[in-house]
Amino acid sequence: MPSDPAPRLSLTGITKSFVGITVLHGVSLTVQPGEVHGLLGENGAGKSTMLNILSGVISADSGEIAINGAEAQINSPRDATAAGIAMIHQELQQVPELTVAQNIFLGGALRRAGGLLVDHAAQEAEARRLLAQLDPTIDVTAPVRGLRVAQRQIIEIAKALRAKASVIAMDEPTSSLTPAEFERLVGVIQTLTDQGVSIIYVSHKMDEVFRLCRSATILRDGHFVTRVTLPQTSVAQVIEHMVGRELSHIQHRSHVTDKVILQIDNLGRGMAVQNASLTLHAGEVLGIAGLVGSGRTELLRLIAGVDAADTGTVRVAGRTLTGSGPRPRIQAGLGLVPEERKREGIIRHRPVTSNVGLPAMRKFSRFGIIRKAALTRRTQELMQEVRLRPLDVDRAIGSFSGGNQQKAIIGRWLAAETQIFLFDEPTRGIDVGAKAEIYDLIEKLAAEGRAIIVVSSELPEVIRLSDRVLVMREGRIAAELSGDDITEGQIARNAIPAT
Amino acid sequence: MTQSSTRPTFLSRIRFRDAGTLLGLVLIAVVFSSLTPSFLTGPNLINILQQSSINACIALGMTLVIISGGIDLSVGPVAALSAVLGAAMMLAGVPVPIAILGAIGVGVVCGFINGALIAWGGLQPFIVTLGGLSLYRALALIFTGGTPIFGLPAEFRALTNGTVMGVPNPVVAVALLALVAWVVLNKTPLGEYMMAVGGNPEAARVAGVPVTLTKLSAYMISGAMASIAAMILIGRLGAAEPTLGTLWELDAIAAAAIGGASLMGGRGSIVGTLIGCVILGALRNGLTLMNVQAFYQLLATGIIIIVAMLIDRATSGKQG
Repeated sequence: MPSDPAPRLSLTGITKSFVGITVLHGVSLTVQPGEVHGLLGENGAGKSTMLNILSGVISADSGEIAINGAEAQINSPRDATAAGIAMIHQELQQVPELTVAQNIFLGGALRRAGGLLVDHAAQEAEARRLLAQLDPTIDVTAPVRGLRVAQRQIIEIAKALRAKASVIAMDEPTSSLTPAEFERLVGVIQTLTDQGVSIIYVSHKMDEVFRLCRSATILRDGHFVTRVTLPQTSVAQVIEHMVGRELSHIQHRSHVTDKVILQIDNLGRGMAVQNASLTLHAGEVLGIAGLVGSGRTELLRLIAGVDAADTGTVRVAGRTLTGSGPRPRIQAGLGLVPEERKREGIIRHRPVTSNVGLPAMRKFSRFGIIRKAALTRRTQELMQEVRLRPLDVDRAIGSFSGGNQQKAIIGRWLAAETQIFLFDEPTRGIDVGAKAEIYDLIEKLAAEGRAIIVVSSELPEVIRLSDRVLVMREGRIAAELSGDDITEGQIARNAIPAT
Repeated sequence: MTQSSTRPTFLSRIRFRDAGTLLGLVLIAVVFSSLTPSFLTGPNLINILQQSSINACIALGMTLVIISGGIDLSVGPVAALSAVLGAAMMLAGVPVPIAILGAIGVGVVCGFINGALIAWGGLQPFIVTLGGLSLYRALALIFTGGTPIFGLPAEFRALTNGTVMGVPNPVVAVALLALVAWVVLNKTPLGEYMMAVGGNPEAARVAGVPVTLTKLSAYMISGAMASIAAMILIGRLGAAEPTLGTLWELDAIAAAAIGGASLMGGRGSIVGTLIGCVILGALRNGLTLMNVQAFYQLLATGIIIIVAMLIDRATSGKQG
């Protein structure tokens, strides 16, 4: 490849405002050919807006975009594709019912019979050729519905290659990948960069950023902070640039009592969860670790009553719970903070008050009428406690950042006087600053004598929060770790299936 | 776009979207009153309200169903079935109040059947109520053999033809029902549940909302409202036709949509729906006063609905 003096992509002085609020203040970003470049910042720093401008979803108010030194006008997604820019979104945009090949050629089908019919055979052959270098195990005739997230991501990358993209932007690509799948992605990224493709990599996970990126642009509150070269800059320095302050590293503090509050015996559902038994004490934080698909989330959903169990019992304070669905469990003091906030957590058009009060509406009512003033006052108190920002409880919850939505959902269970909090990936998609706040909240809940279960794929998170850790493997609880045994090594050893 | 959380005045309580609908109504009123002098007169305004009252009654129930994420296409036939059964009861000598309650009961049962198939059976609301549309109409036709039931008691007819301080009884009745619907939607747990279930059924379930009961209630209320609308109509006509209520569902959906209800569920307003009904009523009334042919009235209705949706789209932004 001839050496190219101009960068592959450069954005200069990008400014963007929405209804009078400036979300990007003259931000610049440069990526060299074949380079993996990190785009870092807390949620709300302007990363998404940058990606949206780059992919033509929105237009910048001012600033320039140049590809290989030539100025490019990107005013629509079509322009971006034509300029060789592709986006791999966090939430993959595919049609589940169509095959892999059909998805790759979505919107640009290969045709035969004078353009009247879709040439499926040619599409499948071309899809196979594209996937050969990425993941040859993917069956191009299978519907996308049955594939794993990691494989679907590969399909998006194949789609980008098909469009001859020279810049691929990846937004949080690993948020639901297992470590093995991440390794595979690293290999794919290597293949791409060897061919001169440039990658813009957006992630909150510092270990990944340092593994993959040679340079990174850091944004904070819509401003360009700095461009750093990696790994010459330390993780601590990068985080400091992102949050604008130093984060304290607090050690784990235990509040465990010997009062058993939740007892689960032989809980099971199909192959997903088998014979799961556990006890949980007041003031305890119990971590559940394991690979994606090991049954962690499924177990939590069985406990919460969101999915129905085939076998087993759930006892709260000695009383066996009956009835189906989440309602009886909620009345018994259990509350689920789900992983997929948008789908299972928030009612996005409704104000914070309605979202917080939902499980406890009767408590806030008299003679069948909701006492709005009492609900608002209580929500206000709780949101102050969980530090909702901005502290405006009449605003639609959908307009808050992910971290603040999560705080509101925690507040929801506080309003319902929940004693047992079930967290599924409590900090997924939440930025570094808000993450620390969520950890503080979980510890505060424990200190107040509540019991907590945390399911997480981030080992540092599990280790930081838990008094005790259960490791799940293939639907079963494979190990219980406590004290000094709670290490990444021990968890990983027990999580990986024996071959 | 959020209002400040300082002391809410009455004006700031009127929702932004409702203000828009009201503006549309004012606009239509200004246009008609400049074109025909008889439009903006007391008797004609009362007339508009009277003509809108049946649609408003249906649309109130429809709004609750739409907000909770469903749709009720069966309201017209449910009205017809309650009308003929109620009328038959009256002719058989059942006391009028009991016959009215019986007719409303018919609507509640029909709504329960719709709701049960949707909430427990997991069937799609559109299809279930489309089936209901044929089913309940067929029952009404079979019951009457296709002929209207005449000779309703004068005592019953007096109820719908009377006035309270010059305002026709149906208008008063629908106004009271609207007040009740407003309270249910905005002040009770059921209303919160409806908006939550329509906005995000899975999140509502995880948060402990009784999703099944919520959906069931919405369809039962819609059925009851259809029956009440039927009572108003047959009281005024003096006869119960098994074919009454044809296309009522479309007028009701149109009124709810003009008033800001989202067919995706989770959003809608009682005040907006009422104004939507009056907009449709005023439009028809004004065009009739100007001797515009019925075909063009239909055209105008269609245009109003589409314009309302376009304005909605434009003001709610891309993220919609």
